[in-house]
Amino acid sequence: MAFVNLQNVTYKYPLTEKPVLQNLSLQIQEGEFVSVIGPNGAGKSTLCYALAGFVPHFFKGEINGEIEVDGKKSSESTLDEWVLNVGLAFQNPFNQISGAKYTVFEEIAFGLENIGVPREEMKKRVEEAMSLTGISELADRSPYSLSGGQQQRVALTSILVMRPRLLVLDEPTSQMDPIGTREVFGVVRRMAEEGMTVVMVEHKVEWIANFADRVIALKEGQVLMEGKPNEVLTSDLLAESGFGISRYTSTAREAKKRGLWKKENLPVTLDEAVKGFKS
Amino acid sequence: MHERLSFHIQRDSFLHRLNPLTKLVLTLTLILLAFTFPWYWTPHLLVLIAVIPLSLLGKVFREFMLTALRLIIPAAGFLFLMQAFFQPIGTDIIFQFYFLDMTSESVLFAFRNAMRIVVMVSAFTLFLLTTHPSELMSDLTRRGLPGQFAYVIISTLQILPQIMAKAQTIISAQRSRGLDTESSFLKRAGSLIPLIGPLVFGSLVEVEERAIAIEARGFTSKHVKTSLHEIPDPTFDKSLRWVLLILIIISIGLNLWLS
Repeated sequence: MAFVNLQNVTYKYPLTEKPVLQNLSLQIQEGEFVSVIGPNGAGKSTLCYALAGFVPHFFKGEINGEIEVDGKKSSESTLDEWVLNVGLAFQNPFNQISGAKYTVFEEIAFGLENIGVPREEMKKRVEEAMSLTGISELADRSPYSLSGGQQQRVALTSILVMRPRLLVLDEPTSQMDPIGTREVFGVVRRMAEEGMTVVMVEHKVEWIANFADRVIALKEGQVLMEGKPNEVLTSDLLAESGFGISRYTSTAREAKKRGLWKKENLPVTLDEAVKGFKS
Repeated sequence: MHERLSFHIQRDSFLHRLNPLTKLVLTLTLILLAFTFPWYWTPHLLVLIAVIPLSLLGKVFREFMLTALRLIIPAAGFLFLMQAFFQPIGTDIIFQFYFLDMTSESVLFAFRNAMRIVVMVSAFTLFLLTTHPSELMSDLTRRGLPGQFAYVIISTLQILPQIMAKAQTIISAQRSRGLDTESSFLKRAGSLIPLIGPLVFGSLVEVEERAIAIEARGFTSKHVKTSLHEIPDPTFDKSLRWVLLILIIISIGLNLWLS
Protein backbone atom coordinates (compact mmCIF):
# COMPACT_ATOMS: atom_id res chain seq x y z
CA MET A 1 0.00 0.00 0.00
CA ALA A 2 1.44 3.33 -1.07
CA PHE A 3 1.96 6.08 1.51
CA VAL A 4 -0.06 8.55 -0.55
CA ASN A 5 -2.89 7.15 -2.60
CA LEU A 6 -5.30 9.10 -4.80
CA GLN A 7 -8.07 6.96 -6.28
CA ASN A 8 -10.10 8.45 -9.17
CA VAL A 9 -10.31 11.91 -7.63
CA THR A 10 -12.58 14.37 -9.40
CA TYR A 11 -13.00 17.79 -7.85
CA LYS A 12 -14.95 20.92 -8.71
CA TYR A 13 -14.58 24.24 -6.87
CA PRO A 14 -17.88 25.81 -5.80
CA LEU A 15 -19.47 27.99 -8.51
CA THR A 16 -17.40 26.53 -11.33
CA GLU A 17 -18.56 24.35 -14.20
CA LYS A 18 -15.50 22.34 -15.10
CA PRO A 19 -13.76 19.98 -12.68
CA VAL A 20 -10.15 20.98 -11.90
CA LEU A 21 -9.06 17.43 -11.10
CA GLN A 22 -10.50 14.79 -13.40
CA ASN A 23 -10.45 11.17 -12.39
CA LEU A 24 -6.94 11.62 -11.03
CA SER A 25 -5.14 8.60 -9.61
CA LEU A 26 -1.61 8.51 -8.27
CA GLN A 27 0.53 6.67 -5.72
CA ILE A 28 3.55 7.93 -3.86
CA GLN A 29 5.84 5.80 -1.69
CA GLU A 30 7.08 6.86 1.74
CA GLY A 31 10.31 8.87 1.54
CA GLU A 32 9.87 9.59 -2.15
CA PHE A 33 10.57 13.06 -3.58
CA VAL A 34 8.03 13.65 -6.31
CA SER A 35 7.95 16.73 -8.47
CA VAL A 36 4.76 17.88 -10.17
CA ILE A 37 4.93 19.91 -13.37
CA GLY A 38 2.26 21.25 -15.64
CA PRO A 39 1.05 24.28 -17.58
CA ASN A 40 -1.17 26.95 -15.99
CA GLY A 41 -4.57 25.63 -15.02
CA ALA A 42 -3.43 22.01 -14.97
CA GLY A 43 -4.60 21.61 -11.38
CA LYS A 44 -1.19 21.63 -9.69
CA SER A 45 -2.18 23.94 -6.84
CA THR A 46 -5.51 22.16 -6.44
CA LEU A 47 -3.63 18.87 -6.14
CA CYS A 48 -1.51 20.43 -3.38
CA TYR A 49 -4.62 21.65 -1.56
CA ALA A 50 -6.21 18.21 -1.95
CA LEU A 51 -3.17 16.45 -0.45
CA ALA A 52 -3.05 18.96 2.41
CA GLY A 53 -6.75 18.52 3.17
CA PHE A 54 -7.88 22.03 2.15
CA VAL A 55 -9.75 20.47 -0.76
CA PRO A 56 -12.47 19.80 0.16
CA HIS A 57 -12.39 20.66 3.89
CA PHE A 58 -11.63 24.36 3.43
CA PHE A 59 -12.78 25.17 -0.11
CA LYS A 60 -15.91 22.95 0.01
CA GLY A 61 -17.05 22.11 -3.52
CA GLU A 62 -17.80 18.70 -4.98
CA ILE A 63 -15.36 15.82 -4.59
CA ASN A 64 -15.48 12.22 -5.74
CA GLY A 65 -12.93 9.52 -5.20
CA GLU A 66 -10.64 8.91 -2.26
CA ILE A 67 -7.52 10.63 -0.92
CA GLU A 68 -5.44 8.56 1.48
CA VAL A 69 -2.26 9.46 3.32
CA ASP A 70 -0.61 6.93 5.63
CA GLY A 71 -3.71 4.73 5.48
CA LYS A 72 -6.04 7.51 6.69
CA LYS A 73 -8.82 8.79 4.48
CA SER A 74 -9.14 12.54 4.05
CA SER A 75 -12.93 12.26 3.91
CA GLU A 76 -13.00 10.67 7.37
CA SER A 77 -10.65 13.16 8.96
CA THR A 78 -10.92 16.80 9.98
CA LEU A 79 -8.61 19.53 8.78
CA ASP A 80 -7.04 20.23 12.16
CA GLU A 81 -6.02 16.55 12.51
CA TRP A 82 -4.96 16.24 8.88
CA VAL A 83 -2.48 19.14 9.02
CA LEU A 84 -0.53 17.35 11.79
CA ASN A 85 0.54 14.78 9.18
CA VAL A 86 0.63 16.88 6.03
CA GLY A 87 2.47 20.20 5.84
CA LEU A 88 1.75 22.76 3.13
CA ALA A 89 3.79 25.74 1.98
CA PHE A 90 2.70 27.67 -1.05
CA GLN A 91 3.86 30.27 -3.46
CA ASN A 92 3.15 33.73 -2.09
CA PRO A 93 5.35 34.06 0.98
CA PHE A 94 3.89 37.36 2.13
CA ASN A 95 0.49 35.80 2.81
CA GLN A 96 2.04 32.91 4.69
CA ILE A 97 3.37 35.13 7.43
CA SER A 98 0.95 34.76 10.30
CA GLY A 99 0.97 38.43 11.24
CA ALA A 100 0.72 37.39 14.87
CA LYS A 101 4.46 37.46 15.53
CA TYR A 102 7.10 40.15 15.66
CA THR A 103 10.27 38.16 14.95
CA VAL A 104 11.20 35.33 12.59
CA PHE A 105 11.97 33.07 15.55
CA GLU A 106 8.49 33.61 17.00
CA GLU A 107 6.96 33.21 13.54
CA ILE A 108 8.50 29.77 13.12
CA ALA A 109 7.44 28.77 16.63
CA PHE A 110 3.80 29.77 15.88
CA GLY A 111 2.80 26.34 14.59
CA LEU A 112 4.44 24.56 17.53
CA GLU A 113 2.62 26.82 19.99
CA ASN A 114 -0.66 25.93 18.31
CA ILE A 115 -0.13 22.20 18.67
CA GLY A 116 1.06 22.51 22.24
CA VAL A 117 4.76 21.63 22.07
CA PRO A 118 6.50 22.31 25.42
CA ARG A 119 8.69 25.44 25.53
CA GLU A 120 12.15 23.88 25.76
CA GLU A 121 11.48 21.41 22.96
CA MET A 122 9.95 24.20 20.90
CA LYS A 123 13.10 26.34 21.13
CA LYS A 124 15.28 23.40 20.18
CA ARG A 125 13.16 22.46 17.19
CA VAL A 126 12.98 26.05 15.91
CA GLU A 127 16.76 26.45 16.16
CA GLU A 128 17.34 23.14 14.36
CA ALA A 129 14.90 23.97 11.57
CA MET A 130 16.42 27.43 11.10
CA SER A 131 19.95 26.11 10.80
CA LEU A 132 18.71 23.43 8.38
CA THR A 133 17.31 26.04 5.99
CA GLY A 134 20.14 28.49 6.67
CA ILE A 135 18.16 31.35 8.16
CA SER A 136 19.56 31.35 11.71
CA GLU A 137 20.88 34.89 11.28
CA LEU A 138 17.35 36.19 10.57
CA ALA A 139 16.01 35.05 13.96
CA ASP A 140 15.45 38.52 15.44
CA ARG A 141 14.29 40.32 12.29
CA SER A 142 10.68 41.22 11.67
CA PRO A 143 9.21 38.77 9.13
CA TYR A 144 7.84 41.74 7.21
CA SER A 145 11.26 43.31 6.73
CA LEU A 146 12.58 40.35 4.72
CA SER A 147 12.96 39.94 0.96
CA GLY A 148 10.61 37.64 -0.96
CA GLY A 149 13.15 34.83 -1.11
CA GLN A 150 13.91 35.10 2.60
CA GLN A 151 10.19 35.10 3.39
CA GLN A 152 9.80 31.94 1.31
CA ARG A 153 12.49 30.27 3.37
CA VAL A 154 10.75 31.36 6.56
CA ALA A 155 7.48 29.89 5.23
CA LEU A 156 9.22 26.61 4.39
CA THR A 157 10.95 26.50 7.79
CA SER A 158 7.65 27.22 9.56
CA ILE A 159 6.24 24.03 8.02
CA LEU A 160 9.39 21.89 8.35
CA VAL A 161 9.57 22.64 12.06
CA MET A 162 6.23 20.87 12.50
CA ARG A 163 7.78 17.66 11.11
CA PRO A 164 4.97 16.52 8.83
CA ARG A 165 5.10 13.01 7.35
CA LEU A 166 4.11 14.42 3.97
CA LEU A 167 5.48 17.78 2.85
CA VAL A 168 3.55 19.54 0.08
CA LEU A 169 5.28 22.50 -1.57
CA ASP A 170 3.66 24.68 -4.20
CA GLU A 171 6.42 26.58 -6.03
CA PRO A 172 8.49 27.19 -2.90
CA THR A 173 11.39 28.78 -4.78
CA SER A 174 9.51 31.14 -7.11
CA GLN A 175 11.07 34.26 -5.61
CA MET A 176 14.54 32.86 -4.95
CA ASP A 177 17.86 33.36 -6.67
CA PRO A 178 19.77 30.27 -7.94
CA ILE A 179 21.71 29.92 -4.68
CA GLY A 180 18.53 29.94 -2.61
CA THR A 181 16.89 27.51 -5.00
CA ARG A 182 19.76 25.06 -4.75
CA GLU A 183 19.68 25.24 -0.96
CA VAL A 184 15.95 24.60 -0.82
CA PHE A 185 16.20 21.63 -3.19
CA GLY A 186 19.11 20.35 -1.08
CA VAL A 187 17.11 20.65 2.15
CA VAL A 188 14.07 18.96 0.62
CA ARG A 189 16.27 16.14 -0.73
CA ARG A 190 17.72 15.67 2.74
CA MET A 191 14.29 15.54 4.34
CA ALA A 192 13.32 12.85 1.81
CA GLU A 193 16.47 10.84 2.67
CA GLU A 194 15.36 11.03 6.31
CA GLY A 195 12.00 9.51 5.40
CA MET A 196 9.76 12.52 4.77
CA THR A 197 7.61 12.17 1.68
CA VAL A 198 7.73 15.25 -0.53
CA VAL A 199 5.45 16.51 -3.27
CA MET A 200 6.78 19.67 -4.88
CA VAL A 201 5.25 21.71 -7.66
CA GLU A 202 8.05 23.41 -9.59
CA HIS A 203 8.87 24.97 -12.94
CA LYS A 204 12.62 24.77 -12.62
CA VAL A 205 13.10 21.53 -14.55
CA GLU A 206 16.90 21.44 -14.34
CA TRP A 207 16.71 21.35 -10.55
CA ILE A 208 14.00 18.70 -10.70
CA ALA A 209 16.22 16.54 -12.92
CA ASN A 210 19.01 16.76 -10.35
CA PHE A 211 17.03 16.21 -7.18
CA ALA A 212 13.63 14.54 -7.62
CA ASP A 213 12.99 10.78 -7.63
CA ARG A 214 10.01 10.98 -9.94
CA VAL A 215 8.15 13.52 -12.04
CA ILE A 216 4.41 13.68 -12.52
CA ALA A 217 3.24 15.76 -15.46
CA LEU A 218 -0.29 17.09 -15.00
CA LYS A 219 -2.51 18.38 -17.75
CA GLU A 220 -6.14 19.41 -17.47
CA GLY A 221 -6.50 17.72 -14.12
CA GLN A 222 -5.11 14.39 -15.24
CA VAL A 223 -1.75 12.64 -15.16
CA LEU A 224 -0.30 12.99 -18.65
CA MET A 225 2.96 11.20 -17.89
CA GLU A 226 4.98 10.03 -14.93
CA GLY A 227 8.34 8.43 -14.42
CA LYS A 228 12.05 9.10 -13.88
CA PRO A 229 12.82 12.82 -14.23
CA ASN A 230 15.02 12.42 -17.29
CA GLU A 231 12.56 10.22 -19.15
CA VAL A 232 9.60 12.51 -18.54
CA LEU A 233 11.39 15.82 -18.97
CA THR A 234 12.93 14.85 -22.32
CA SER A 235 9.89 13.14 -23.83
CA ASP A 236 8.45 14.43 -27.10
CA LEU A 237 4.93 14.26 -25.66
CA LEU A 238 5.82 16.87 -23.03
CA ALA A 239 7.30 19.25 -25.59
CA GLU A 240 4.23 18.89 -27.78
CA SER A 241 1.79 19.45 -24.90
CA GLY A 242 2.88 22.97 -24.00
CA PHE A 243 5.02 22.20 -20.95
CA GLY A 244 7.96 24.38 -20.04
CA ILE A 245 11.02 22.30 -20.89
CA SER A 246 14.72 22.85 -20.45
CA ARG A 247 16.50 24.85 -23.15
CA TYR A 248 19.19 22.16 -23.24
CA THR A 249 16.56 19.56 -24.12
CA SER A 250 15.13 21.60 -26.97
CA THR A 251 18.59 22.49 -28.28
CA ALA A 252 19.66 18.84 -28.29
CA ARG A 253 16.39 17.81 -29.90
CA GLU A 254 17.05 20.17 -32.81
CA ALA A 255 20.67 18.97 -32.94
CA LYS A 256 19.48 15.36 -33.08
CA LYS A 257 17.33 16.11 -36.12
CA ARG A 258 20.45 17.42 -37.84
CA GLY A 259 22.52 14.47 -36.70
CA LEU A 260 24.64 16.52 -34.31
CA TRP A 261 23.41 14.79 -31.14
CA LYS A 262 24.61 11.22 -31.26
CA LYS A 263 23.25 9.84 -27.97
CA GLU A 264 19.92 8.10 -27.56
CA ASN A 265 18.75 10.19 -24.58
CA LEU A 266 18.28 13.95 -24.56
CA PRO A 267 19.81 16.07 -21.78
CA VAL A 268 17.94 18.19 -19.21
CA THR A 269 20.82 19.98 -17.51
CA LEU A 270 23.79 21.96 -18.79
CA ASP A 271 26.24 19.29 -17.60
CA GLU A 272 24.48 16.54 -19.51
CA ALA A 273 24.32 18.72 -22.62
CA VAL A 274 28.04 19.54 -22.48
CA LYS A 275 28.98 15.89 -21.99
CA GLY A 276 26.66 14.76 -24.78
CA PHE A 277 27.96 17.23 -27.32
CA LYS A 278 31.58 16.40 -26.46
CA SER A 279 31.14 12.68 -27.05
CA MET B 1 7.94 49.39 5.13
CA HIS B 2 8.11 47.41 8.33
CA GLU B 3 6.80 50.03 10.69
CA ARG B 4 4.09 48.78 12.97
CA LEU B 5 1.19 50.19 14.88
CA SER B 6 2.61 49.99 18.34
CA PHE B 7 3.80 52.52 20.87
CA HIS B 8 5.84 49.99 22.76
CA ILE B 9 9.40 51.03 23.61
CA GLN B 10 11.80 48.28 24.59
CA ARG B 11 13.54 49.21 27.84
CA ASP B 12 14.54 47.39 30.96
CA SER B 13 12.55 48.92 33.79
CA PHE B 14 10.42 48.03 36.76
CA LEU B 15 7.30 48.83 34.79
CA HIS B 16 8.39 46.81 31.75
CA ARG B 17 9.05 43.79 33.96
CA LEU B 18 5.61 43.81 35.54
CA ASN B 19 3.21 41.16 34.30
CA PRO B 20 1.03 42.59 31.49
CA LEU B 21 -2.16 41.81 33.41
CA THR B 22 -0.84 43.68 36.45
CA LYS B 23 -0.19 46.71 34.25
CA LEU B 24 -3.66 46.45 32.79
CA VAL B 25 -5.17 46.30 36.29
CA LEU B 26 -2.99 49.23 37.37
CA THR B 27 -4.23 51.26 34.41
CA LEU B 28 -7.86 50.49 35.18
CA THR B 29 -7.30 51.29 38.87
CA LEU B 30 -5.93 54.75 38.06
CA ILE B 31 -8.86 55.46 35.77
CA LEU B 32 -11.52 54.17 38.18
CA LEU B 33 -10.00 56.08 41.12
CA ALA B 34 -9.92 59.28 39.08
CA PHE B 35 -13.57 58.87 38.19
CA THR B 36 -15.10 57.43 41.35
CA PHE B 37 -13.10 58.46 44.41
CA PRO B 38 -15.31 61.02 46.15
CA TRP B 39 -12.73 63.73 46.76
CA TYR B 40 -12.38 66.71 44.46
CA TRP B 41 -8.60 66.70 44.12
CA THR B 42 -8.20 62.95 43.41
CA PRO B 43 -7.36 63.16 39.67
CA HIS B 44 -4.98 66.07 40.23
CA LEU B 45 -3.20 64.21 42.97
CA LEU B 46 -3.05 61.02 40.88
CA VAL B 47 -1.17 62.85 38.14
CA LEU B 48 1.39 64.02 40.70
CA ILE B 49 1.79 60.90 42.83
CA ALA B 50 1.10 58.15 40.27
CA VAL B 51 1.26 59.10 36.61
CA ILE B 52 4.48 61.10 36.63
CA PRO B 53 6.37 58.81 39.04
CA LEU B 54 5.25 55.79 36.99
CA SER B 55 6.57 57.33 33.79
CA LEU B 56 9.93 57.80 35.55
CA LEU B 57 9.80 54.28 36.96
CA GLY B 58 9.14 52.94 33.43
CA LYS B 59 12.01 55.00 31.97
CA VAL B 60 9.65 56.48 29.42
CA PHE B 61 9.36 59.99 30.90
CA ARG B 62 10.53 61.72 27.71
CA GLU B 63 8.23 59.78 25.36
CA PHE B 64 5.37 60.19 27.81
CA MET B 65 5.88 63.95 28.01
CA LEU B 66 5.96 64.21 24.20
CA THR B 67 2.61 62.42 23.98
CA ALA B 68 1.27 64.58 26.81
CA LEU B 69 2.28 67.82 25.08
CA ARG B 70 1.10 66.79 21.65
CA LEU B 71 -2.08 64.95 22.48
CA ILE B 72 -3.21 64.81 26.08
CA ILE B 73 -2.83 68.45 27.16
CA PRO B 74 -4.40 69.97 24.01
CA ALA B 75 -7.35 67.57 24.21
CA ALA B 76 -7.86 68.12 27.93
CA GLY B 77 -7.44 71.89 27.47
CA PHE B 78 -10.13 71.96 24.82
CA LEU B 79 -12.44 69.94 27.05
CA PHE B 80 -11.73 72.34 29.92
CA LEU B 81 -12.69 75.41 27.86
CA MET B 82 -15.85 73.82 26.50
CA GLN B 83 -17.07 72.77 29.91
CA ALA B 84 -16.01 75.94 31.69
CA PHE B 85 -18.00 78.08 29.25
CA PHE B 86 -21.00 75.90 28.60
CA GLN B 87 -21.66 74.23 31.95
CA PRO B 88 -24.74 76.08 33.21
CA ILE B 89 -23.90 75.97 36.91
CA GLY B 90 -23.06 78.60 39.50
CA THR B 91 -23.76 82.32 39.68
CA ASP B 92 -20.35 83.78 40.56
CA ILE B 93 -19.21 84.99 37.14
CA ILE B 94 -15.44 85.38 36.98
CA PHE B 95 -14.87 85.86 33.25
CA GLN B 96 -17.01 86.98 30.34
CA PHE B 97 -16.47 86.69 26.61
CA TYR B 98 -19.37 88.28 24.71
CA PHE B 99 -22.36 86.13 25.71
CA LEU B 100 -20.25 83.26 27.17
CA ASP B 101 -19.44 83.28 30.84
CA MET B 102 -17.40 81.25 33.25
CA THR B 103 -18.46 80.87 36.85
CA SER B 104 -16.14 79.70 39.60
CA GLU B 105 -18.26 76.55 39.90
CA SER B 106 -18.08 75.72 36.21
CA VAL B 107 -14.31 76.29 36.22
CA LEU B 108 -13.84 73.88 39.12
CA PHE B 109 -16.13 71.36 37.46
CA ALA B 110 -14.32 71.62 34.12
CA PHE B 111 -10.91 71.44 35.80
CA ARG B 112 -11.74 68.15 37.47
CA ASN B 113 -13.21 66.60 34.34
CA ALA B 114 -10.23 67.66 32.28
CA MET B 115 -7.89 66.13 34.86
CA ARG B 116 -9.89 62.90 34.81
CA ILE B 117 -9.34 62.73 31.06
CA VAL B 118 -5.65 63.46 31.59
CA VAL B 119 -5.39 60.55 34.04
CA MET B 120 -7.29 58.21 31.74
CA VAL B 121 -5.30 58.93 28.59
CA SER B 122 -2.00 59.08 30.48
CA ALA B 123 -2.60 55.73 32.14
CA PHE B 124 -3.32 54.11 28.79
CA THR B 125 -0.33 55.80 27.21
CA LEU B 126 1.96 54.47 29.92
CA PHE B 127 0.44 51.03 29.51
CA LEU B 128 1.03 51.01 25.75
CA LEU B 129 4.53 52.44 26.06
CA THR B 130 5.69 49.73 28.45
CA THR B 131 3.76 46.65 27.27
CA HIS B 132 4.59 44.63 24.18
CA PRO B 133 1.30 43.76 22.44
CA SER B 134 2.26 40.15 21.83
CA GLU B 135 3.27 39.71 25.47
CA LEU B 136 -0.08 41.08 26.59
CA MET B 137 -1.95 38.77 24.23
CA SER B 138 -0.02 35.62 25.05
CA ASP B 139 -0.48 36.33 28.75
CA LEU B 140 -4.22 36.89 28.32
CA THR B 141 -4.50 33.79 26.08
CA ARG B 142 -2.82 31.74 28.78
CA ARG B 143 -5.47 33.02 31.20
CA GLY B 144 -8.29 31.91 28.90
CA LEU B 145 -8.78 34.64 26.31
CA PRO B 146 -9.75 32.86 23.03
CA GLY B 147 -6.75 32.48 20.69
CA GLN B 148 -8.75 33.76 17.73
CA PHE B 149 -9.48 37.01 19.56
CA ALA B 150 -5.83 37.59 20.38
CA TYR B 151 -4.88 36.78 16.79
CA VAL B 152 -7.29 39.36 15.39
CA ILE B 153 -5.88 42.10 17.64
CA ILE B 154 -2.21 41.37 16.98
CA SER B 155 -2.46 40.68 13.27
CA THR B 156 -4.46 43.87 12.73
CA LEU B 157 -1.69 45.86 14.39
CA GLN B 158 0.81 44.34 11.99
CA ILE B 159 -1.15 43.94 8.79
CA LEU B 160 -2.75 47.41 8.66
CA PRO B 161 0.60 49.13 7.97
CA GLN B 162 1.17 46.54 5.23
CA ILE B 163 -2.18 47.36 3.62
CA MET B 164 -1.36 51.07 3.84
CA ALA B 165 1.97 50.42 2.11
CA LYS B 166 0.15 48.43 -0.56
CA ALA B 167 -2.32 51.28 -1.15
CA GLN B 168 0.66 53.59 -1.62
CA THR B 169 2.19 51.19 -4.16
CA ILE B 170 -1.07 51.02 -6.12
CA ILE B 171 -1.39 54.82 -6.12
CA SER B 172 2.20 55.16 -7.36
CA ALA B 173 1.60 52.58 -10.07
CA GLN B 174 -1.60 54.31 -11.21
CA ARG B 175 0.08 57.70 -11.10
CA SER B 176 2.91 56.49 -13.30
CA ARG B 177 0.22 55.56 -15.80
CA GLY B 178 -1.32 59.01 -15.67
CA LEU B 179 -3.65 58.98 -12.65
CA ASP B 180 -4.74 62.55 -11.92
CA THR B 181 -3.63 63.52 -8.43
CA GLU B 182 -3.34 67.27 -8.81
CA SER B 183 -6.55 68.76 -10.18
CA SER B 184 -9.81 69.55 -8.34
CA PHE B 185 -10.84 67.58 -5.30
CA LEU B 186 -13.82 65.88 -6.94
CA LYS B 187 -11.78 64.75 -9.93
CA ARG B 188 -9.11 63.35 -7.68
CA ALA B 189 -11.67 61.59 -5.49
CA GLY B 190 -13.17 60.07 -8.65
CA SER B 191 -9.84 58.87 -9.88
CA LEU B 192 -9.30 56.97 -6.63
CA ILE B 193 -12.11 54.55 -7.53
CA PRO B 194 -9.84 52.32 -9.65
CA LEU B 195 -7.73 51.88 -6.54
CA ILE B 196 -10.52 50.23 -4.59
CA GLY B 197 -10.65 47.12 -6.79
CA PRO B 198 -7.05 45.96 -6.45
CA LEU B 199 -6.83 46.99 -2.80
CA VAL B 200 -10.09 45.55 -1.49
CA PHE B 201 -10.30 42.43 -3.62
CA GLY B 202 -6.57 41.89 -3.31
CA SER B 203 -6.88 42.08 0.47
CA LEU B 204 -9.76 39.60 0.46
CA VAL B 205 -7.69 37.09 -1.52
CA GLU B 206 -4.85 37.64 0.92
CA VAL B 207 -7.14 36.91 3.84
CA GLU B 208 -8.08 33.57 2.30
CA GLU B 209 -4.44 32.62 1.71
CA ARG B 210 -3.48 33.70 5.20
CA ALA B 211 -6.30 31.61 6.61
CA ILE B 212 -4.91 28.58 4.75
CA ALA B 213 -1.38 29.34 5.93
CA ILE B 214 -2.25 29.55 9.62
CA GLU B 215 -4.61 26.61 9.36
CA ALA B 216 -1.73 24.57 7.87
CA ARG B 217 0.17 25.44 11.04
CA GLY B 218 -2.46 24.04 13.35
CA PHE B 219 -4.25 27.26 14.29
CA THR B 220 -7.54 25.50 14.99
CA SER B 221 -5.86 22.50 16.60
CA LYS B 222 -7.68 21.23 19.66
CA HIS B 223 -4.43 20.82 21.59
CA VAL B 224 -3.84 23.16 24.50
CA LYS B 225 -1.62 25.91 23.14
CA THR B 226 1.79 26.59 24.60
CA SER B 227 3.78 29.80 24.45
CA LEU B 228 7.35 30.39 23.30
CA HIS B 229 8.00 33.14 25.81
CA GLU B 230 7.51 32.61 29.46
CA ILE B 231 5.74 35.61 30.91
CA PRO B 232 6.61 35.72 34.60
CA ASP B 233 3.85 36.30 37.10
CA PRO B 234 5.57 36.40 40.50
CA THR B 235 3.82 36.61 43.86
CA PHE B 236 4.58 40.33 43.94
CA ASP B 237 2.39 40.84 40.86
CA LYS B 238 -0.40 38.73 42.25
CA SER B 239 -0.41 40.62 45.58
CA LEU B 240 -0.22 43.97 43.79
CA ARG B 241 -3.27 43.06 41.75
CA TRP B 242 -5.20 42.23 44.93
CA VAL B 243 -4.20 45.53 46.54
CA LEU B 244 -5.31 47.44 43.44
CA LEU B 245 -8.58 45.53 43.35
CA ILE B 246 -9.25 46.43 46.99
CA LEU B 247 -8.52 50.10 46.21
CA ILE B 248 -11.06 49.97 43.38
CA ILE B 249 -13.69 48.40 45.63
CA ILE B 250 -13.09 50.99 48.38
CA SER B 251 -13.30 53.84 45.89
CA ILE B 252 -16.51 52.64 44.29
CA GLY B 253 -17.96 51.74 47.70
CA LEU B 254 -17.23 55.22 49.14
CA ASN B 255 -18.69 56.78 46.02
CA LEU B 256 -21.95 54.83 46.38
CA TRP B 257 -22.12 55.35 50.15
CA LEU B 258 -21.68 59.13 49.99
CA SER B 259 -24.01 59.72 47.09
